[in-house]
Amino acid sequence: MTDTPAPRPAPLDVRPVKQPMWKRLSLVWLVPIAALSISLWAAWQNYQDRGTLITISFENASGITAGETVIKYRDVTVGEVEDVEFADGLTDVLVHARIDKTVAPYLDDDAVFWVVRPDVSVRGITGLETVLSGVYIEGNWDTDPDVAQYEFVGNEEAILTRAGQRGTSVVLRTGDGGSITAGAPVLHKGLQVGYLEQPELSFDGNQVVVSAFIESPYDRRITSSTRFWDTSGFSVSFGAGGVSLDVSSIASLIEGGIAFDTVVSGGQAIRDGQTFDIYPDEQSARDSLFTDPNAASLQVAVLFEQSVTGLTKGSEVRFQGIQIGEVDQLNAIVVGEGASAQVRLQAVLDIQPSRLGMSPESTPEDALALLSDFVARGLRARMVTGNILSGTLVVELVQIEDALPAIVTQASGQYPVIPTTDSQISDVAATAEGVLQRINDLPVEELMQGAIDMMDSIERVANDESTRAAPASLVALLDEARALVASDDVQAVPGDLRKVINDIDAIVTSTAEADIVADLDAAIQTTAAAAANIELATENLPELITQIEALTAKANALAIEDLVKTATDTLASIDRLVGSEDAAALPASLNGALDEMRGFLEEVREGGAIENVNAALASANEAAQAIEQSVSGLPALSERANQLVAETRAVVNSYSERSRFSAETLATLRDIQTAADAVSALARAIQRNPNSLLTGR
Amino acid sequence: MGSAGTEGGLITARDAGLVACQRCGQVHAQDALYCKRCDGRLQSRDTESLQRVWAWLFAGMIAYIPANIYPMLLTSTLVERSESTIIGGVVELVEYGSIGIAIIVFVASVVIPIGKFLAIGYLAISVQRGSQDNQHQRHKAYEVVEFIGRWSMIDVFVVAILSALVQLNTIATINPGIAAVSFALSVIFTMLSAQSFDSRMIWDVNRTAE
Repeated sequence: MTDTPAPRPAPLDVRPVKQPMWKRLSLVWLVPIAALSISLWAAWQNYQDRGTLITISFENASGITAGETVIKYRDVTVGEVEDVEFADGLTDVLVHARIDKTVAPYLDDDAVFWVVRPDVSVRGITGLETVLSGVYIEGNWDTDPDVAQYEFVGNEEAILTRAGQRGTSVVLRTGDGGSITAGAPVLHKGLQVGYLEQPELSFDGNQVVVSAFIESPYDRRITSSTRFWDTSGFSVSFGAGGVSLDVSSIASLIEGGIAFDTVVSGGQAIRDGQTFDIYPDEQSARDSLFTDPNAASLQVAVLFEQSVTGLTKGSEVRFQGIQIGEVDQLNAIVVGEGASAQVRLQAVLDIQPSRLGMSPESTPEDALALLSDFVARGLRARMVTGNILSGTLVVELVQIEDALPAIVTQASGQYPVIPTTDSQISDVAATAEGVLQRINDLPVEELMQGAIDMMDSIERVANDESTRAAPASLVALLDEARALVASDDVQAVPGDLRKVINDIDAIVTSTAEADIVADLDAAIQTTAAAAANIELATENLPELITQIEALTAKANALAIEDLVKTATDTLASIDRLVGSEDAAALPASLNGALDEMRGFLEEVREGGAIENVNAALASANEAAQAIEQSVSGLPALSERANQLVAETRAVVNSYSERSRFSAETLATLRDIQTAADAVSALARAIQRNPNSLLTGR
Repeated sequence: MGSAGTEGGLITARDAGLVACQRCGQVHAQDALYCKRCDGRLQSRDTESLQRVWAWLFAGMIAYIPANIYPMLLTSTLVERSESTIIGGVVELVEYGSIGIAIIVFVASVVIPIGKFLAIGYLAISVQRGSQDNQHQRHKAYEVVEFIGRWSMIDVFVVAILSALVQLNTIATINPGIAAVSFALSVIFTMLSAQSFDSRMIWDVNRTAE
């Protein structure tokens, strides 16, 4: 059997014709090309849309997560945190974030960023949404694109004033920042119209400075005469109107607050950032309206030797009762050197020149010149009690009469020193104690005893027989005086005198005729003197009469009942007068005086002076007759004339003395009257003002 | 029929002047254009096969890049919002201790797609170079690639199911990220690439070498 191989078909050449590459290209290639181009386009788009990278540095990055924490502007997400890392030296945390390209140009140097966290404060709860969603970064910037920035420093706290917010920012100064906190309200008539920013220390560290933002349109209420005051907490004051408790809003109670008001018109418009002072309360703010707080003040020192307890920084300085400044510093300084060194307490006074009534333009130097002038005229500083209950002191500048000369000196160094005088510090306890002590010390018992004694004495005087007899004696005296005046002898005196003169005239005539003029010269002169004396005597007589008449009138006007009654009514204590032996003896003396006078008058009447005159005249008459009879005995005549004249003069002199006696009687009566009046006045004074017994005045 | 591996003893349909329908297996004469049974287009060899393989492969690779860069899942809960990529999700699963699930996700999302790229690329290159080595192994590799390709969609399915189920408004929401779409496209492209490969070309080398 033959094994033939199976028939096989001829090999077929199936190699295809090589076609050019581009002809063989399949349409499927469009798919990867499309995929590639879509991918590239997407990548490019992505790259193009990628936000601007910015870096914000924070102190810590609590809650910030890369890829999750977003950046918001007015609650719209504008970016996302890409990375969080440390700066060189671990000083800060750098947060890298991408910000939308559309927003990035607005991020200029006024852009601020802060982390929004949940915050619970008196004014409300903010950022509550971040409890669940995590914190986010809030940014704020204005709407003007400026030079774009890429690196920022984040704030620790949310800013209060949003960029673009309309209003005015002012700077407030205060000495104590304890009552103000950031975000505290600014009130105007009780409405919140703004808020405070973060308080800061001033450059010199003496004051606390805080910015306050007043929203539009309330900021138009602020002028240069606006005053700000602290309304934080509450104030309790007590005075004549009782206790008053002043509480502002609860928020300001806890957080503090500032209120302002513009009371006087005419203030100038303010600019942004104007500086104002914060006054401790509304009253002082309103009080300050009349002074310019920015005016320069005069600082002078006062050195006190005694304790200044009760004097504090801020105590008032008064001039004539008006506050002109306050105490600025209190410290002790050493005055003198070596053994004479002394520690004095120096109070530096801050005086406002405008309060001294000087013009607003006046400088502290002008005020010092004025004060120096005052000091030279007796102005002195002293401490006086300002409030008797709290024991606070104020410094008072007073004008002291006849003060020791002093001037304003520069002794203590930088401040001019105003000399001091004794202080008037009344301590409540000491004052009350002193009053009680004085009341205690009053001799009330003795006083009562003295009054009783005095009444007894007056009663005794009034009841005395002698007193009762005084009116009768006076009446008798007057009667006798009247009788004397009316007596024939007295009436006859002028007639007799005329007769004597006629006689003398005749003598003279005859003497002239007898041609013995020279011999008679001395005699005539003596006779002329005698005549003059007699004339004087006659002149004195009417005077005596008028005096006696006045005495009578006085005695009538005396109204002894009134005297006794006044003396009885007035129970004053002139026991020295009434109780003394002299006073007791007064009625007796008076009677004695009256008796003497009566005796004198009787004497006059019964042949004393009148007879003497008559006798003298008779003698003269005889003498004249003798001259008439014989001119040869002229020397004897002259001798006798002389004698006559001497006698006449003695008589006349005796009358003169009597008239002095009557004047003395009158003076005595007047003294008694004065004494009675004085007692009466004293009694009235006590009745009107019993306090004077206590006050000792 | 003898062993397919015997040297020179293997006759292809083409050698015999025949052409087989690739859909129903009906053998026709060489010049037939359409299958008598299923009316499918008859083609002894797909001359543009390699072009399509490469095109779909490139498209799949391009799509695979964003699938890995962008997040696969967008998870928003009340307290946080998280985005996780494929690799990020695997790392997270490992950190949570779910090693098994991590391996499954890693294999399905990373190993298989990359393996497919490599396998298809290798097959295409080897055909182009007319390599005669490991023809049987390469054919098996092709079969495995074509079979396993659809399982790569497991990731996409997970994302789709989660997105559909977890929609609780603000409390918790899961949305597919852009990577899910990219990944799905990548899988589809690689499957098309694998299907475009005409495995008969593996065996044509002998003829062309003669």
